[in-house]
Amino acid sequence: MVATAMGAACGPSRTSTNGNAATNTAPGTGVPRGGNLLVSVRNEPRSFNRLTARETTTDLVSNLTQAKLVRINKVTQEVEPSLAESWTRSEDGRRYALKLRSGVVFSDGQPFTSADVVFTFKAVYDEKTGSSLADSLQANGKRLRVMAIDPLTVEIAFADPFAAGVRLLDNLPILPRHKLEAALEAGKLGEAWNLSTPPSEIVGLGPFVLSAYIPGQRLVFDRNPRYFRKAPDGSALPYLDRLTVEIIPDQSAELLRLEAGQIDMTHSEILPEAYAPLKRAADAGRIKLVDLGVGLDANSLWFNLKPGAFAGDPRAAWLQRDELRQAISLAVDRQLMADTVYLGAAAPVFGPITPANKTWYWAGLPKTPHDTGAAKRKLAAIGLTDRNGDGALEDARNRPAQFTLLTRTGRPDLERGAAVIRDEMKKIGVVVNVVTLEAGALADRFVNTGKYEAVYYSPIATDTDPALNPDFWFSFGSAHLWNMLEKTPATDWERRIDELMAKQIASPDETERKKLFDEVQQVFVEHEPVVYFVAPRVYVAVSSRVTNLTPAISRPQTLWEPDTLAVNK
Amino acid sequence: MLAYISRRLIFAVFLVFAVSSSSLILARLAGGDYVTESLGIEAHPETVEQARARYGLDKSIGAQYRDWLGRVVRLDLGRSLLYDRPVSDLIPERAANTAILAFTALLFATLIGLPLGVVAGSRRRGPGGAGGPGGVIPGVIRATSLVLLSMPPLLTSLFLVFVAARTGWMPIAGMRSPGEPSTGLTLDLLQHLIVPAGALALPLAAMFERLQAQAMAEAIGAPFVLATLARGVPRSRVVWRDALKASLRPIAAVYGIVIGTLLSGSFVVEVITAWPGLGRLMLDALRARDVFLVAGCAGAGSIFLALGSLLSDAALALVDPRVAEP
Repeated sequence: MVATAMGAACGPSRTSTNGNAATNTAPGTGVPRGGNLLVSVRNEPRSFNRLTARETTTDLVSNLTQAKLVRINKVTQEVEPSLAESWTRSEDGRRYALKLRSGVVFSDGQPFTSADVVFTFKAVYDEKTGSSLADSLQANGKRLRVMAIDPLTVEIAFADPFAAGVRLLDNLPILPRHKLEAALEAGKLGEAWNLSTPPSEIVGLGPFVLSAYIPGQRLVFDRNPRYFRKAPDGSALPYLDRLTVEIIPDQSAELLRLEAGQIDMTHSEILPEAYAPLKRAADAGRIKLVDLGVGLDANSLWFNLKPGAFAGDPRAAWLQRDELRQAISLAVDRQLMADTVYLGAAAPVFGPITPANKTWYWAGLPKTPHDTGAAKRKLAAIGLTDRNGDGALEDARNRPAQFTLLTRTGRPDLERGAAVIRDEMKKIGVVVNVVTLEAGALADRFVNTGKYEAVYYSPIATDTDPALNPDFWFSFGSAHLWNMLEKTPATDWERRIDELMAKQIASPDETERKKLFDEVQQVFVEHEPVVYFVAPRVYVAVSSRVTNLTPAISRPQTLWEPDTLAVNK
Repeated sequence: MLAYISRRLIFAVFLVFAVSSSSLILARLAGGDYVTESLGIEAHPETVEQARARYGLDKSIGAQYRDWLGRVVRLDLGRSLLYDRPVSDLIPERAANTAILAFTALLFATLIGLPLGVVAGSRRRGPGGAGGPGGVIPGVIRATSLVLLSMPPLLTSLFLVFVAARTGWMPIAGMRSPGEPSTGLTLDLLQHLIVPAGALALPLAAMFERLQAQAMAEAIGAPFVLATLARGVPRSRVVWRDALKASLRPIAAVYGIVIGTLLSGSFVVEVITAWPGLGRLMLDALRARDVFLVAGCAGAGSIFLALGSLLSDAALALVDPRVAEP
């Protein structure tokens, strides 16, 4: 067995961001204890049941009230113990034995045991519950097998070797069997913990308990006095007495309230256009503005590469060609896009993995230059040239080179980005018709109906480890944007990526995994099924009274570790 | 009169049915559905299909409509896909919040618009008011009203939110402060009402002022007013008692419709000021393609509009009994 011994229940050490010690500080740490942190979110929760709802507010409720077996430290991007204090992996990489912490109890005092872990997996995989988490708790498309060895030991078995291993478990909040088993047996777990549920019924292992929900207005969380994690000095966590989540749908109002000191932080990052006024407020000492650097996600463009998607369309000869996408990558000035769309607060990127992903970014990624001449040569190679000297390109039958680019309405960054692409492509003679659609309608086009030519959008990776984004990388994946759910790989290069990813996911050697994934990125960039342009910098803003903050580039940037947040009174 | 009201009620029922049905069908026909929106683009097809079957979204539009209709006749509006709660629970909750906002806005608008309209319309250049409204004050009132009329609620909301943020005189958004009672009429609630009610009330007050000013200007020139003035009755009494009553007809004609419109929920104001009302609920339902909640919100809105229209007619009959004559 390969031992993977982990430490105690302490979180990573840090220094307080505020040197002024308030009264009632945690002994030895200088971190103030008590107080109420006010956080804003844009949407109402859809449920208190994370198994059935996946939007950001429900996820926040789950993070505050529930705990997981392991957690990913969003700063280091490494897996850390949580409810499981240590684990070992079998030699074949298929089985993990997790040792659970002893003495842990739910917020209502009931003890936490391996039975709760087994129950949670059963609930996630239950067909009647129909949990969206079931898809993310699979490895190579197969479910995990979970067994309780004893009250404090759980074995999790993967059907095939899975190198990412327990990292997968960061998706899963552990639920109280004593509260939800009856609902599961009755086939009604999907309805459990809906918004009508009295807050006192929402029991968990997390740092807070839900004490009030006022529909449309706010959620109030009080500290869980039975929470299992301790501060570095051994004192109880969380530091806060209360955390109030205000529901503010409009971002302008949200930021005004932050500036006015009526809330302490927003759940989501700051938009570039809000940076200047917030900088003034930060200079005046009213808030703290944190630059987290270039983000993990980049806005991207892809074409419909499904074979036969353009049957009967005369543009089929060039619309799905690698050369078109390569030409777009050459023609669009990425720095111009960063300046226009993000006011300079973005960095050009050339592949799906940005430099923010320290573990998996390939430093050897070729940087496509801005070269309109090279772009025109690429287009000429697929028969698109200016045949009549009017500046616009035509195909062999004099039909104009044009395509429709769909993007999402209500997202200024996407709308402006699409406009930049349109204008840059016009310079080399290609007409891009930008059509903005509402989110649901856009998703319907490229997920359900497949009736689109090109899309400009910002898909978000669920984890930094590519093994946990198989649906994007594998040709049979449901998030293989340009050609989803292929029965067999449509191209040789996709077949090659499938092979490399399968090895990458199974290899227990991290160096080998990195080497394999570098090659995946190389193949990807050669054929560029998705063109990446810029990754915006991520800014977060908090009120000046917030202290002990550990902001991270991954979402939720400021609330991934709510138990160690503190406020000066 | 009874027959008249009965006819209007029957029409209202038909209106509610037509609006709810068409909302449900249109929401269903719009691109995307709740399942795609809620599970995300990376969801596996089997998970998506199971979810569609669970919510009944795998059936044809006709079958879904028939199921919905069958429930509605039993007064079951269905369960919200978005919030997993009965639609009939969600709507009254939010409608109550919208009602608080709407009636406050209406009160503001009436107390501001009506008197200003009387002032602006009653000040005429010639004896007895001949020659049209004149003077600095009426001019300022008129200009202000025209500016406010041309400002959409979006702009007035943003302006008031900005003023609130910069001055700190009133809460920027929300309905109540954390830690304050979540029910009942409190000072905290009244403070939170200032911005959203103001955003709704200002353009409304401008409309009332313009209507009242025009109507007052006509009433002031009416023979019975001239005769009353000639008998030596003080001008202020003539204006505020006799001419006012005679000039209320246009206001009465629109009052009920304004109530209905306000109660249907102004989603722009509710979103910007984070007011948890019916308009915001409808917008969230539309975005999420929660077809049952959309139909319920649209139905509620049409009920308010129909009632408002009825109220308008009743007010008109009160002000001008000639309307009710056969």
